Amino acid sequence: MNDVRNMLVDAATRIFADHVDAKLLDAAKRDGWSPALWQVVSDAQLPLVGIAEAQGGSGGTLSDHAAVLRIAARYAAPIPLAETALAAALLADAGLAIPAGPLTVAPVRGESISAGRGDDGWRLSGKLSRVPFARAATRMVVFASSPEGALIAVVDPAHCQITPGSNLAFEARDSVVLDNVAVETSALSTMVTPTVLRLRGALARSLQIAGALEAALELSARYAGERVQFGRKIAQFQAIQHELARFAGETAAAVGASMSAAGVMERGGDAHLAVASAKIRCSRAAQEGSMIAHQVHGAIGFTDRYALHHATLRLWSWREEFGNEAVWAQELGAAVAAAGAGQLWPALTGY
Amino acid sequence: MFQQVDFSALNLPPSARALQLEVREFLRAEMAAGTFEVHLGHTEFNAELSRKIGARGWIGMTWPKRYGGQERSYLDRFVMTEEMLAVAAPCAAHWFGDRQTGPSLLRYGSEAQRGRYLPAIARGEYAFALGMSEPNAGSDLAAVKTRAARVDGGWKLNGQKVWTSWGHKADAFFVLCRTAPDSGNRHDGLSQLIVELKQPGVTVRPIHFMDGGHHFNEIFFDDVFVPDDRVVGEIGQGWRQITSELALERSGPERYMTTFPLFVELLRRLGASPDARATEMIGRLTAGLWSLRRMSLAIAMTLDPGPGAESGTPKASVDLATEAALVKDLGTFYEREIIDAARLLGEVEPQHNATDLFERFLTESIVAAPVSTLRGGTTQVLRSLIARRLLGPLK
Repeated sequence: MNDVRNMLVDAATRIFADHVDAKLLDAAKRDGWSPALWQVVSDAQLPLVGIAEAQGGSGGTLSDHAAVLRIAARYAAPIPLAETALAAALLADAGLAIPAGPLTVAPVRGESISAGRGDDGWRLSGKLSRVPFARAATRMVVFASSPEGALIAVVDPAHCQITPGSNLAFEARDSVVLDNVAVETSALSTMVTPTVLRLRGALARSLQIAGALEAALELSARYAGERVQFGRKIAQFQAIQHELARFAGETAAAVGASMSAAGVMERGGDAHLAVASAKIRCSRAAQEGSMIAHQVHGAIGFTDRYALHHATLRLWSWREEFGNEAVWAQELGAAVAAAGAGQLWPALTGY
Repeated sequence: MFQQVDFSALNLPPSARALQLEVREFLRAEMAAGTFEVHLGHTEFNAELSRKIGARGWIGMTWPKRYGGQERSYLDRFVMTEEMLAVAAPCAAHWFGDRQTGPSLLRYGSEAQRGRYLPAIARGEYAFALGMSEPNAGSDLAAVKTRAARVDGGWKLNGQKVWTSWGHKADAFFVLCRTAPDSGNRHDGLSQLIVELKQPGVTVRPIHFMDGGHHFNEIFFDDVFVPDDRVVGEIGQGWRQITSELALERSGPERYMTTFPLFVELLRRLGASPDARATEMIGRLTAGLWSLRRMSLAIAMTLDPGPGAESGTPKASVDLATEAALVKDLGTFYEREIIDAARLLGEVEPQHNATDLFERFLTESIVAAPVSTLRGGTTQVLRSLIARRLLGPLK
């Protein structure tokens, strides 16, 4: 592993370990996110890792960002880290400036937003659902269709009507109504599209699933080594050991697939194959892993007093966001079938 | 998990890319020329193909040149292995020597043993088999009863081995045996001897597989004389020597690719626009393979000491043993997912001696399916090992 990334990983781990505790996570369940944690993470310049300094980022690669995101998910960090990075990357690709503060992106559920020319530039109208952390964002990146073509635009959520909602883990997933909302900056782009957002979003959720699985596995192994039943630590029962071994396999697969997909996207390889594979594999691992985690923990695991639910509620949300495994498998399967049997191996072994 | 692996660097170097295409083309041409026929389940013993592969320098690729190796990287070997598996090219005539015997001799063998066996293995002219299991020593390998007694200038071997793949075609094999009685610590007193199969006193008898095929054998020793210079490593150190299987050996493509050609034939059968159910299964199988290959490649790349490493062994400073064991566990079950998909989507009633390629692959894969989670350490032994590493000392 390269030294720069090791230092980054150590620094990020320290920050999350020092600041994320039960109290912060409970408060975030109420508010949909944690402004206090965002401040700390933002001060450490973690949100824009992977965006070039020339573009207003902190420098580093997509794989550096992936490493940070995985660690944030290990600690269930309730902040729009993935969303800010997604928004920033899209803006940078479109040649637009990156606004300060937490950001978000939309649409994530395929809604269509229309853009029309007003006296002072573009104006957007439409309804968005399940926008991650819309209430927390200082700016929102929105894809819209205009008479002149596909538009990527930056709006101020304060000018929108926001109705709070949440995912299973009580992370903000808000409804947003845009009624002739003024655009701050925008670009017509055929390259930076909702398809790119969906791909990058699926990669982000895959990485987060990997991190949450690592957390759940660690909790499960620790609990099994402490909990005594029938006069023995339950970790001494082979039945429990084998379930944990299977859990470790699912976790390793999620880490391997998601981190590899980040690497492929960074190098400009077959990103569709990589990200689709990662989201399919990680979503499956989320199911297998979370069920084993709860089985090992027994009843304490499903209470809101014990930490496991921070991981598992996220796993059950993230596996659906930006396309679940069935949706991606249909897409990937169609592409593989269309390319033909003779192309499968060359595709798998390509760049 | 995978904390020491840099996935952003996970990319084959140009040498491996070039080799990939070279091997692919070689195998295509050899298949077209009729050098080999493809069967799934058990890899076949094809001496002609192994000699041709040896002539190309593709056996013992990572070994030092003075023993007939090429001093190439582990990634080159990875590519070679996966290209062979992608078309199920028969490799039994060199596989065990390339994968197990050769590396063991490099680690523990004498100079004379290396000189005698390694160049011949690398040429594809000398086939090794494995002599580990016995009727009462399967997963519990330390229970072996085959005994070697000290005699003048060597050892006198008596006992029986079982499940030796291709023992009826191989030239020699490593025999794990007891050279001292079990004195409390069962792992002491075990040794590895090289037995050449044409030696007097060695009897090979077939054990037919459930489809009638002959791959496995039982091998009997009746006062077989093994000279001192055929002892591998140290007398009494056999257990340590055989349990030092490396992460690379545990997590190779052979753990998840043995049913891959069935996937390809399934795709061919389903055509360019299959129904929704088939399309989703294709997507899931593709994702599974892509993910496993990335994990396996990550381990190979991280442990690769670079070309020409003098010892012929991978980097020891990085511990990926748990990850490697996980790849094997996941891989063997992934292979069955392909069989199940082919079965459910193919809708054929499998039969022996099917002429259609898809049907033949399906049949061969179904009957061989129980093998992969048993050989080289059962799923249950493997999971106990993974759990021990995960949980640490429990007392």
